Amino acid sequence: MPRSETRHYSEEELLMHLLQEETPEAGENIAGHVRECGECNAVLREYELVVARILRWGLCDLSAEVWDADRVRLLEQFRRDQSWLERRGVLRTLMRGFESTWSYALENPLPTLGYIVVAFAFASERTITFLKLDRVVPATSEVIEIIRQFF
Amino acid sequence: MTSPLSDEDLVEGTLGGDEDAFSQLYEKYRHPVYATAYRIIQSAEDARDATQEIFVKLYRSLRSWNPRKASFSTWTYRLASNHAIDCWRTRRRKHETLDSEDTGEKAEREYAFGDAIRSPYREIAGREQVEAVRRCVDLLPELQKKVFVLRYFQELKLDEIAEMENCSLGTVKTSLFRATHAVRRALRKARN
Repeated sequence: MPRSETRHYSEEELLMHLLQEETPEAGENIAGHVRECGECNAVLREYELVVARILRWGLCDLSAEVWDADRVRLLEQFRRDQSWLERRGVLRTLMRGFESTWSYALENPLPTLGYIVVAFAFASERTITFLKLDRVVPATSEVIEIIRQFF
Repeated sequence: MTSPLSDEDLVEGTLGGDEDAFSQLYEKYRHPVYATAYRIIQSAEDARDATQEIFVKLYRSLRSWNPRKASFSTWTYRLASNHAIDCWRTRRRKHETLDSEDTGEKAEREYAFGDAIRSPYREIAGREQVEAVRRCVDLLPELQKKVFVLRYFQELKLDEIAEMENCSLGTVKTSLFRATHAVRRALRKARN
């Protein structure tokens, strides 16, 4: 927006102009105004000097040895974290498998119950055979007889 | 000759556990990250520690980087400046409680650490003016300090900083102006 000659730009606007942080249109207006207005021009020049002095603020840089030592330390930490993440990955896969099984069981309770009964029967039969428990555990017919007598 | 890998490639490699990719990221960003930390914390020793912590944080949170939202460098500077501000806060609190500590001892410690550092610009710069800028920046509020360092030394555009900080462009502009104005006053005082 063009300004009258008596209205000056604010210091903030002038700084933004200096840093080229304004819109191109505003930039042209400010540049035009500054060419003619000594007061705004002086403020702009002063900010130019301030920015130049700010940019003189150097850095206490670290030596190559310090950087190398830090890199070694960091990569060691990275390696440690990676092996931990791998372990966590296995655990996460297991958990994901468990979660999907659980949601299937909730959605299909009857088939799940059937699977459990079959798996249990198979496992108990194998356990009894393997550990030769048939010598101590009563046979199914004996169990049925005991239950019948009880009732 | 192979072309250097892009940030996206290096990030992907790092996420896949490739140590070499992470090492390249470190090599590329260690200097700007350290520079940001140094200008905010204003201690070479603490900035060095902060740089290490920033890189650990960086690879641990790499998955949260969204290339559609911000470039990798902007994301990194955000991480660096936020962490540096945290360190600066801790350091300030520590200094407040240790105010009675012998300054001679403190200077000796800084000097001992100074053996490991070199300062190529120090001799060139007008010592007093640089010192005035440094002291003034140390006293700036957090947002002003962050905007000041990121705009003048990392050359981020103000709209990028606004996006990074989740605030309006106007707020960032005002913060930068206030910070620069404070430095201008400090420089005038130093001159007088």
